[in-house]
Amino acid sequence: MKKIALVALLALSLLLPAFLAMAQDDLKEIKSEAFGKLQRPAVAFDHNAHNEKAQIEDCLVCHHSGENGVQDKTTGSEGTPCSECHKVKPTDKKATSLMRAYHKQCIACHTEKKKGPLACGECHVRKK
Amino acid sequence: MHEIYNLVTGPLAWLAWGIFIVGSIYRLAIMYILAKKKDAPSLAYMSWGFSLRSIINWLIPFNALGWRRNPLMTVATFAFHICLVVAPIFLLAHVALWDQFFGITYPVLDEKVTDIMTMIVVAACLIFAARRIFQKEVRYVSGFQDWLILVIAVLPFATGLLAYYQLGNYQVMIVLHILSGEIMLAAIPFTRLSHMLFSVFTRSYMGSEFGGVRRVKDW
Repeated sequence: MKKIALVALLALSLLLPAFLAMAQDDLKEIKSEAFGKLQRPAVAFDHNAHNEKAQIEDCLVCHHSGENGVQDKTTGSEGTPCSECHKVKPTDKKATSLMRAYHKQCIACHTEKKKGPLACGECHVRKK
Repeated sequence: MHEIYNLVTGPLAWLAWGIFIVGSIYRLAIMYILAKKKDAPSLAYMSWGFSLRSIINWLIPFNALGWRRNPLMTVATFAFHICLVVAPIFLLAHVALWDQFFGITYPVLDEKVTDIMTMIVVAACLIFAARRIFQKEVRYVSGFQDWLILVIAVLPFATGLLAYYQLGNYQVMIVLHILSGEIMLAAIPFTRLSHMLFSVFTRSYMGSEFGGVRRVKDW
């Protein structure tokens, strides 16, 4: 019995990356539950369409990891929610808050590439 | 969009803040020198007590006789000035930009509250405009400079509302909003908006004159 459970677990862990990739396929909107009630509409974001258009193949471009306020761009963090590290209200003053992390992640890259939205309402579009 | 957005949020923003701060210091300094040269005796009569008495009494709605005589203007003026200053400073979107550009963050008002405050500013501007058109004695003393500051003041708030509700072309609206805000900042020292810098001194002057010279409470 124990053996079967072990094998099943192993198989599941092998399948896990596939599940995560599938989850990204379905991603149409960036919305973190950590924020609670939102003041602005969540940002429409089609993961695959965006990366195709922006020609991003390396997950690390966005999915960085890090520790103690230092970004590590060599280790990926796919599947880990941003809010795991970036707290809505960080207790450490030097830590990057969740809102700042999102804004920096998107706007800094858009500014650098001179492509994509920059102003508030370009991403936070009201549903009409 | 990138070029123009970067221009209005970058160099033009620095320029507007620079003109506002340096210009304000310059105007205050020049005005002090002028007052000393041309009206030295009145400077000698300036008193802290009478100045503060006058300022405080005029800060309370319906307290001074001037307020009691014009109830609509009293309400409009107080609501206008409080909202004009408070709403932009504690606006969520503005604080998000402080956070994005400088990592500075502080408490914000709920967007529903700042939304109403912005509408109050625009509504008050309409009241001020109607007053300049329909009230004979006000129309008589209204000139280009008065209309200019009314337009400069209402634009950032009107465009802000339209951008917030995303009515019209958003990209055009947000650029106009930022631009009109910068025009307002830069215009403060050099238009009648300079009452932001001088009103406390003119009120002190009058308070001191009525208190210290004429010895009346009619400040």
